[in-house]
Amino acid sequence: MPGADAFLRVEHLSHSFGGFKAVDDCTFEIARGSISALIGPNGAGKSTAVGLIAGALKVQSGRVFFDGQEVTRLPAYKMARRGLLRTYQVSREFPLLTVMENLLVPPPDQRGESLLNALFRPSVGRRQDAALASRAVDVLETYGLLPLRDEYAGNLSGGEKRLLELARAEMANPKFMLLDEPMAGINPALIARLDGHIRRLRDQSGITFLLVEHNLDVVERICDQVVVMASGRTLAEGSMAELRQNPEVVRAYLGGGLDERAVG
Amino acid sequence: MDLILPYIATLAIFFFVYNILTWGLNIQFGYAGVLDFTFITFVACGAYFSGVFALGPGQKSTGFEWILGLSWPFPIALVMGALAAGLLGIVIGLIAVNRLRSDYMAIVTLATGTVIYGLVSNYTPLFDGFDGLAGLQTPFSQWLNINYNQFTYLWVGFCAVVMVICWFIAQRILNSPLGRTMRAIREDQEAAEAFGKDSFRVRLIAMSMGAVLAGVGGALLMGFIGAFNPAGWTSGETFVVWAALIVGGRGNNWGGVVGSFVVAVLVNEATRYIPPIPGNATLIPTVRNMLIGASLIAVLWLRPEGIIPEARRRFYQLPLLPGRRTPAEGMGSAGS
Repeated sequence: MPGADAFLRVEHLSHSFGGFKAVDDCTFEIARGSISALIGPNGAGKSTAVGLIAGALKVQSGRVFFDGQEVTRLPAYKMARRGLLRTYQVSREFPLLTVMENLLVPPPDQRGESLLNALFRPSVGRRQDAALASRAVDVLETYGLLPLRDEYAGNLSGGEKRLLELARAEMANPKFMLLDEPMAGINPALIARLDGHIRRLRDQSGITFLLVEHNLDVVERICDQVVVMASGRTLAEGSMAELRQNPEVVRAYLGGGLDERAVG
Repeated sequence: MDLILPYIATLAIFFFVYNILTWGLNIQFGYAGVLDFTFITFVACGAYFSGVFALGPGQKSTGFEWILGLSWPFPIALVMGALAAGLLGIVIGLIAVNRLRSDYMAIVTLATGTVIYGLVSNYTPLFDGFDGLAGLQTPFSQWLNINYNQFTYLWVGFCAVVMVICWFIAQRILNSPLGRTMRAIREDQEAAEAFGKDSFRVRLIAMSMGAVLAGVGGALLMGFIGAFNPAGWTSGETFVVWAALIVGGRGNNWGGVVGSFVVAVLVNEATRYIPPIPGNATLIPTVRNMLIGASLIAVLWLRPEGIIPEARRRFYQLPLLPGRRTPAEGMGSAGS
């Protein structure tokens, strides 16, 4: 049975592309209010699992529970409305929208999105936009992106796009953030800023995090709990310290990384 | 003077109508990224339905048959034509926009349009098949005693009024949160869905509202010409509107105005009044199509975003809540 404190629980999830089993009987749970990591070698099925949880892929077998309710096979936009926010391995900003507009898209329950309000009561949308823009200014300031507010998001640097992803995610008021390699391809100074933001969001807003991450230093520094996947299955769960003692995990994934660190 | 003025008035009518059409396609493609390759079908829907609402009943014995035939005043018939086109937009949207993306969506719209074309031109009880609707009394003639030239000038004014209404519809959608969400879906559908946007619903709205404007344009053509048949809405006509939107600039409605003037009025309509060259009857239409194609290629090479690109929305345009301080300029930029 799902534990009372589990925010996300995945049960016997399997998914094949053609004949290839990308996810194979994968089971794990993520504690409410934790920052957790999903690690594993390339091809372990992590991104597929993320897609299945987020509703971008249709679950073929197995079940997903989110915030105490079964959400198996809910489409992506409905998962988002229940408070799940996912990001992608590559930044998925809206290139021809400005940074500011990118932040105004995510907030839920925008009354100006109704056709009747758009046509006959434009002030409804404008008033809500004013409040959202005011909040977006604060968020942009937090991430140091305020000077770029009128820039097309497509013109930002790789690092700025990563910050924008998180800023945008914050505007959506999620309960759970599912971040697929949020630190991929950015410099160490910015990594420190990003993980600072993640901890701040957990502490201030109580958001639960699940990160797919290859950078084990980051995982060690900020994650309470780690799920290891290999060949589509859950190999082990626990803290980084525990996992390092697990010979199976070391063989499958940690080996190289651990040795390097032991030397360095 | 007796020839020039009506000629200019006719071109003005086509200009106004094509403005409405490019704005309609802009809502579908420029805002929401829906590849509608059967836009002319919505124009035809508006023309046919405004026609059968305004015409008297068709009679099989006389060789003219069509549905309805209610003899309603033309302005009301125009609204009905627009609504019918909007409904057709939802129907084709349900088929094409649901689950399909980009090129697949485009092919399905084209295929659906071809099916409708075949049905309408062969099934005579609907809109009199390939002969089409004809014999519409000039609108307003039941109230005003005017000759045809006077009607043309009156129609310029009527089209202008309708155009202004359509401008407000297009602009209000563009500048609303709905328009912003449409553009976000255009940029990255999957990412927009990850923020809880129901891209299917939003694209269906875009499809339908674009079709409403197409229907309005079609009804204005019907009222002006008084007749409409399948020769007037071959699939090539769709690409005149597409060319106008791409050349003028998508994502903003001024681009649509420029495009419809250059492509649809200067190239497509103005050249229709050049007398055919003896012995070379098809030369002018062929050159016309070549010009449209050439202008499209030139714009895509030299200025792919169109003559008037989509405007960047500056933040100072957004009103801040009262008491909110102005954000300081010149702060350090984000890292990397």
